Amino acid sequence: MASKPRVTAPEQKTGNVVRDSSLALVPETLDPYLAVNALIWLGGPLNAAEIEMARLRNARTVNCVFCRNVRYDIAIEAGLDEAKVALIEDGFIDSDLSDREKLILEFSDQYLGNPAAIGTDLQQRLLAEFTIEELVHLSMAISHFHGFSRCAVSLGGMPDDMPRMEVSLPD
Amino acid sequence: MSWLAGAAERQQVLAAMPELADSYAQLYAQLWTLPHLPARSLELCRLRLAQLHNASVEWQKSEAELAPGQRLALAEWPNSDLFDSAERACLEFCEVYAMDTQALTDAQAEAVKQHYGDAGLVALVEALGLFDGMTRLSLLWQLSTVPPGEQ
Repeated sequence: MASKPRVTAPEQKTGNVVRDSSLALVPETLDPYLAVNALIWLGGPLNAAEIEMARLRNARTVNCVFCRNVRYDIAIEAGLDEAKVALIEDGFIDSDLSDREKLILEFSDQYLGNPAAIGTDLQQRLLAEFTIEELVHLSMAISHFHGFSRCAVSLGGMPDDMPRMEVSLPD
Repeated sequence: MSWLAGAAERQQVLAAMPELADSYAQLYAQLWTLPHLPARSLELCRLRLAQLHNASVEWQKSEAELAPGQRLALAEWPNSDLFDSAERACLEFCEVYAMDTQALTDAQAEAVKQHYGDAGLVALVEALGLFDGMTRLSLLWQLSTVPPGEQ
């Protein structure tokens, strides 16, 4: 992993973690990105704890150190504690997570691993548990997190490790 | 026909969340008008990702005009003289990104920056994230049809 940043973020700081990042080098996409991000967290039927589970599953797969160690405050408020986060690991199928939570992780893994190979069994279990709107929401969430976590990794500057950090949704 | 909502096209699936669909469409549309990176380089990367994912729906689409012969030669781009050095830098970056983002090298990033600068590299990785995402969703949702306006 590249620990040295591959691009230089703008010097002017706003206090907004996204606007102060290298994404600000492309201002044309900055506001549209933040709008999508806000809708992923606040504009769909899944609650923030469910969205955060998909985000953390992706972060673990991509091995984005920053993404893995960040916790969104709205997800914590929605009930996602560290005991539950610890279950988002290999073997989650046999964990104490609910069937719904396990399906969120299974669906995320299918997207991240081999999306074309989704089987009818998983499709049927998803359709039995979630509404269409919820499945579209989950799909777009995992896609969004996957793309931008890989963006962060691609641009370098990722630390080898960092402490857990609670963040708010950027404006 | 997709198992999700009985839809054939992406827009039919996304109709379940219209506000998010509109917002996402605005982000996606911005990519094709960026001053930092030509649309043709982006389209080559989008199509190369479709090839690598074996995603026929994404491969059938056309988002920007290519030079004559480039689409047909894309799978063998390293051996073709139809691609200039900037396009080669983007395609090499794209291929490694697709296989293992952690394996990207500073030299591959630098090659893109030599042509398009820091902003161009950021634009490229943002675009690759969206293209890869749309491709994975096409496969996951088992979409079967490209809307007429996107062919």
